[in-house]
Amino acid sequence: MGKDGEGGEQPHKSHRVRKSGASAKKKSKSKPNSTEGLSKELQKINNPKAFAFTSSKKAKRLQSRATEKEQKRLHLPTIDRNIGEPAPFVVVVQGPPQVGKSLLIKCLVKHYTKHDLPEVQGPITIVSGKQRRLQFVECPNDINGMIDCAKFADLALLLIDGSYGFEMETFEFLNILQNHGFPRVMGVLTHLDKFEDVKKLKKTKQRLKHRFWTEIYDGAKLFYLSGLIHGKYTKREVHNLARFISVMKFPPLSWRASHPYILVDRFEDVTPPEKVHMNSKCDRNVTLYGYLRGCNLKKGTRAHIAGVGDYHLSGVTALADPCPLPSVAKKKGLRDKEKLFYAPMSGLGELLYDKDAVYININDHFVQFSKDDGANPEGTEKGKQRDVGVELVKSLQNTKYSVDEKLEKSNISVFGKKPHISEAPEAVEKDHSTQSNYKEEFDLDRGRVRRKAVFENEMDIDNKDFFLVHKSGSGSLLVTSQDSGEDDDSDSNDSDETEKGDEDMLSDSGSSEDKEDEMGNISKWKESLLERTSSRRNINLEQLVYGTSGSKSSDDMKDAVEEESDEEFFKPKGEGKKKSNEGINDNDVDIDDCSKFVSTGSLKDWKNEDLIESIRDRFVTGNWSNAKARNELSEGTVGDDGEVLGDFEDLETGQKYEGDHTDDVGISNKDDALAAEERKLKKLALRAKFDAQYPFLQLDTYNGDGYSDTLKEKMELQKQTNIAELADVDEDKRVEIEGFRTGTYLRIEVRDVPYEMVDNFNPFHPILVGGLALGEDSVGYMQVRLKRHRWHKKVLKTRDPIIMSIGWRRYQTVPIYSIEDRNGRLRMLKYTPEHMHCLAMFWGPLAPPHTGVVAIQNLSNNQASFRITATATVLEFNHAAKIMKKLKLVGTPCKIFKKTAFIQDMFTSDLEIARFEGASVRTVSGIRGQVKKAAKGEISNKPSKKGGGKEGAIVRCTFEDKIKMGDTVFLRAWIQVEVPRFYNPLTTALQPRDKTWQGMKTVAELRREHNLQVPVNKDSLYRPVERRPRKFNPLVIPKSLQAALPFASKPKDLAPRKRPLLENRRAVVMEPHERKVHALVQHLQLLNTEKTRKRKRKEAEKREVLAVEKSKEEQISKKRQREERRVRYREEDKMKKKIRRNPQS
Amino acid sequence: MGKIQYKQLKGSQNMRLRLLLSTLSSTPIIIEDIRAEETLPGLRPYELSFLRLLEEVSDDCSVEINETGTKFKYKPGIVMGGRHLVHDCGTLRSIGYFLEPLIVLGLFGKKPLTIKLKGITNDSKDPSVDTFQKTTLPILKQFGVPPEGLELKIVNRGVPPKGGGEVILSVPIVKELEAAIWIDEGLVRRIRGYSFSARVSSQFENEMLHKARGIFNRLLPDVHIYTDHKAGVQAGESPGYGITLVAETTSGCCISADTAVYRGGEEEDEFEEKKELSPPGDIGEKIAATLLAEIEQGGVVDSTHQGLLFLLCALCPPDVSKVRVGKLSPYGIEVLRHISDFLKVKFSIKPDPATNTVILKCVGCGLKNLSRKAS
Repeated sequence: MGKDGEGGEQPHKSHRVRKSGASAKKKSKSKPNSTEGLSKELQKINNPKAFAFTSSKKAKRLQSRATEKEQKRLHLPTIDRNIGEPAPFVVVVQGPPQVGKSLLIKCLVKHYTKHDLPEVQGPITIVSGKQRRLQFVECPNDINGMIDCAKFADLALLLIDGSYGFEMETFEFLNILQNHGFPRVMGVLTHLDKFEDVKKLKKTKQRLKHRFWTEIYDGAKLFYLSGLIHGKYTKREVHNLARFISVMKFPPLSWRASHPYILVDRFEDVTPPEKVHMNSKCDRNVTLYGYLRGCNLKKGTRAHIAGVGDYHLSGVTALADPCPLPSVAKKKGLRDKEKLFYAPMSGLGELLYDKDAVYININDHFVQFSKDDGANPEGTEKGKQRDVGVELVKSLQNTKYSVDEKLEKSNISVFGKKPHISEAPEAVEKDHSTQSNYKEEFDLDRGRVRRKAVFENEMDIDNKDFFLVHKSGSGSLLVTSQDSGEDDDSDSNDSDETEKGDEDMLSDSGSSEDKEDEMGNISKWKESLLERTSSRRNINLEQLVYGTSGSKSSDDMKDAVEEESDEEFFKPKGEGKKKSNEGINDNDVDIDDCSKFVSTGSLKDWKNEDLIESIRDRFVTGNWSNAKARNELSEGTVGDDGEVLGDFEDLETGQKYEGDHTDDVGISNKDDALAAEERKLKKLALRAKFDAQYPFLQLDTYNGDGYSDTLKEKMELQKQTNIAELADVDEDKRVEIEGFRTGTYLRIEVRDVPYEMVDNFNPFHPILVGGLALGEDSVGYMQVRLKRHRWHKKVLKTRDPIIMSIGWRRYQTVPIYSIEDRNGRLRMLKYTPEHMHCLAMFWGPLAPPHTGVVAIQNLSNNQASFRITATATVLEFNHAAKIMKKLKLVGTPCKIFKKTAFIQDMFTSDLEIARFEGASVRTVSGIRGQVKKAAKGEISNKPSKKGGGKEGAIVRCTFEDKIKMGDTVFLRAWIQVEVPRFYNPLTTALQPRDKTWQGMKTVAELRREHNLQVPVNKDSLYRPVERRPRKFNPLVIPKSLQAALPFASKPKDLAPRKRPLLENRRAVVMEPHERKVHALVQHLQLLNTEKTRKRKRKEAEKREVLAVEKSKEEQISKKRQREERRVRYREEDKMKKKIRRNPQS
Repeated sequence: MGKIQYKQLKGSQNMRLRLLLSTLSSTPIIIEDIRAEETLPGLRPYELSFLRLLEEVSDDCSVEINETGTKFKYKPGIVMGGRHLVHDCGTLRSIGYFLEPLIVLGLFGKKPLTIKLKGITNDSKDPSVDTFQKTTLPILKQFGVPPEGLELKIVNRGVPPKGGGEVILSVPIVKELEAAIWIDEGLVRRIRGYSFSARVSSQFENEMLHKARGIFNRLLPDVHIYTDHKAGVQAGESPGYGITLVAETTSGCCISADTAVYRGGEEEDEFEEKKELSPPGDIGEKIAATLLAEIEQGGVVDSTHQGLLFLLCALCPPDVSKVRVGKLSPYGIEVLRHISDFLKVKFSIKPDPATNTVILKCVGCGLKNLSRKAS
């Protein structure tokens, strides 16, 4: 066996298909279904129409559907303007607390770097492959952190506790992601070792996977981490996960592609220490470090620091990449393995390059001469073993800072992990909402409320599992407490390291200044050389325009001009004129504003033949080859020019460059890359040339490819020309022209940030610096299309403050909801529609149209339900749009003429009436009319003393018909609703992160706090409608008319007869026989009545007896039920108490 | 962000440009010391008229001017555009003065702009409306502005001092411009001229164009000058005549020169009056010489349009634009300075000694039309 294993490849046995047995039978069974076995003819015989369309309509429909699907797949191609190697991709690891986020990062880091990470603080950059770097960030558990993380994530790993199921955080995060551009998402199921039953595990996986798919797309990757081995995820699974990450492609997202942004991985306070000493609450200067992402960052752009505010980036400098790709890095150091790793907030990584210093962080076990240095508190105790010299050096280092200053510094960058706020256990255990198809469920686990997202179809399973899961949760309590202990240890370590870094910075700063001085001399000398040697003077022309330094004062400009005045060519033509004008206008800030250049010098006499010949080649009548040469020559010289300059700088500045950055990237490699780029460019140029020569061919190919391909082609060409045009510009100039490229490591200095940002800095919360484009720092009204989230339980009320997350920002604002009517009017809505989009208008910093918006009402962490209240997209900035509200003015007529009526109670003053002249009115019965004018003293039937005040408010209206006194007249009008000019940026970074940010409160919240009732207008209450019965007067027909009427229609109102009729009056005498019969009938009737009376009495007696019996029975049963209930309640109470006691123990 | 931060500027120079850039980059500005030292301090009526024009086309912009008019605050709003707008430009500066910033502003509006401008159509100080029609609008097309809806219609002519001209400008809106690499100046293919006479005999016109053509004929056969004799209402209220010459090259560049002759008002200085005295033939020769001087200089645009060209380059998406111009004009330099001031876009300026031209390169600021409504 051993020989075989070592000897070489063992030939694998080829697979042999089973020809008998169960599996063979299975295969043969399935075969007849497939078409393979059948010949074509046979198929046709079986079903000749199966593969043909039966109707042309259906064929058309299918075809259109197919093309629609095809088009849906297409996206408008976006130009990727990133040049060079990209910044590390950000992998955000998100999940509810205690799901294993940090552990996953630790395992992944371990996998890549073979390094054990004590704790995950801040972004961790690693090199994952030759072409790829990754930056791992742990998403904090509050909603603010989640929103910020969603804005910079390239890949989100959603960790889900498999033993528990989905929690609200996951869905909230997904929703935020979707609205801020959807980056790649991958689900990771953890805690799968809690399942004992394999079948159940399988089912749970299946269920969770399908639920995950419905949220993202069918087939979205859900990864399973089956369990822990030695407190770590299994190597194989982490390896697989890393493989998935490494092949992932990241599509450009439109918001991020148009805005530069930086995820800060290092943060320092650079306020002068004495200033802090004087006033510990003074505004601070901070430096932020991070990779530039998104798009190029120009100097002087404003940026938004999430949770802090808008700031000017006062100093931006590019630093050498702290974590370069291996292909670029020089193989100089020994420990190449560990260099692929950069996490300053976690206190790891070794070399830090700063603007003016290099920090060397030496791991303790690599230092040979002493085991520990002063930075380690435990080390001081062991200090006896130390060398004297070493100690001397260390003490010298220490003298630069006093101890308390160091302590201050240390508390800046490192914070202990705050414990989670434990939720009061009296929270409701379960809350089933009946309204939507999702349900929320809370239970108390490890001292916090877990917000479970339960869906109807899986309700039953979850309830069954409930107790089991709970038990396992409480079992792991001990582990968590241990973890927190570890945290504290690592904290102290980190603080020491940062202290050491500070020392380094101070010691190095002196020498770097010296260097700069030297450089200054050299550059001066070189300048004069330049002036003498170069005949091109391209810098001079730029200086002429932009001035020598950054300052743009006109005096400077003039000086520059005078210096160069001997060169005729580069003198701007107007300069002479300007000077001559100076006599008239003593300062040239008021010169005339005129784009046309009027040359004061005498024009040449173009009748001269020589002159004409001199410009002949500029015309088509001239020599074409000459003209061509003119263009070519110029191009050639430009190229030469560039080369000359390049060489020149290689001699001088090249050295300078190296001197400046001691550890610069390899030049040879850069050259290689340049060469490759040039080759690529040449190819493209050739292509472009070919296209130019054969435009018809080009057209053909484009038509064949389709629109999107044409666009793609165009964009690629544009990108290549960009690269080509900027290739010959030197580094400093390039930065000035196009800004810092994406992927560079930047140091940004921000002045005058509030001290709270430094004080409350927490490395667990990533800092996002997002650049603002033109016009995005101004404030105005914005209109968004908004929809309440279907999982949010209430509709939203107009004028209730709400927190919006738009672009980089988060701010609280007061929206007014509206909907567009048929005629384009924006009608105010008191509440958002239940399931429909509506418009929302609010005041705030502007964001370009199509930007996604997430709205939140409550930021608190222990809130039970789904926190995202609404989602929206920005439609436009709109100052002109008016939101209207309906107003109904109601009045009653006080005097009616033919078609004119005086209406009272509608207006309160003549002025109001004047405003509404010509407005249309209507009565309840539907008679339309028009407001005319205020009535002046025309009403005589009203006592003027009583209604003296009212008289002004009476208005004359005309109607299309006569109205009745009982009619109500109303006027339908619209009034504009003012949108409140209020917005309040969320300053969550300026307060402790575990504190909930409190902004403006809603009216309902205030009422609840102050225990106020909702004010009730008595007039608005509904009362029972009282309708008096109408009294109608008798109809009177005039006598003349009556006479003319036919008899049938005549009213027959004769007086009632006074004497009774004869029949009633006369007496009746009976015959003897008749009398007998009559008596008999009377007797019989008497008997009958007596019988019924007896029977009735008997029945009543019976009923009474029955009722008594029944009441007795009822009493007994009631008693029994009460007893039963009491027993049940007692048991339930016991159970509850037990649960309450469990998590506390 | 609570308080509005104004950008502080001084003097009345380049006010149009400053206001335009302020509106495009939505930076509020304060301009101080406007002709503070002069006998007639403060804003001129035409500057006020321009401010009013801005208020007309944009929404929610605010202008505060102090009592003497030497200082004002301008907070830009949103460019609304819209149809059936009318603006009276006054008779101090010609319509060209207002058109230059307006066409750029109109591109970045909420709705396409159609505006009727009244005033002086042709004078010798600002580019004439003919120049706009034939030269400026084609420049815009180079930067991806759709030709549909981009139009300038001359209704009436009007020359100083009384004006009375009328043009209708319509500008479409764009989402963003397109970067242009435009360095091929080509060869002059043909020369077209547009002369007009208003309230004067057409004889003036004929003589002028005859002389002008005399110069070109030795260089190029394809020269044609259109005449446009106006009478009645269309001729405006003052007598005058003028000419615009446009040289078109094989690569589609247009180089123009224009002038107008009229009886000067009170405010004209002696220099202008002298010019007025010269016979029409001399005017024709002079303007032909000016055009030839422009052609000799090289570049894809003439010196008048340098400013506009630089501005368009700077407003492009963050791609490289590259243009070639002749000598930098003072106005062009001012534009470059202001662009770097407001839009933070700097140009790389390289002379091309072989052709005595300058090649400018820049990466656009990536301005997008934010006021457009999302559909």
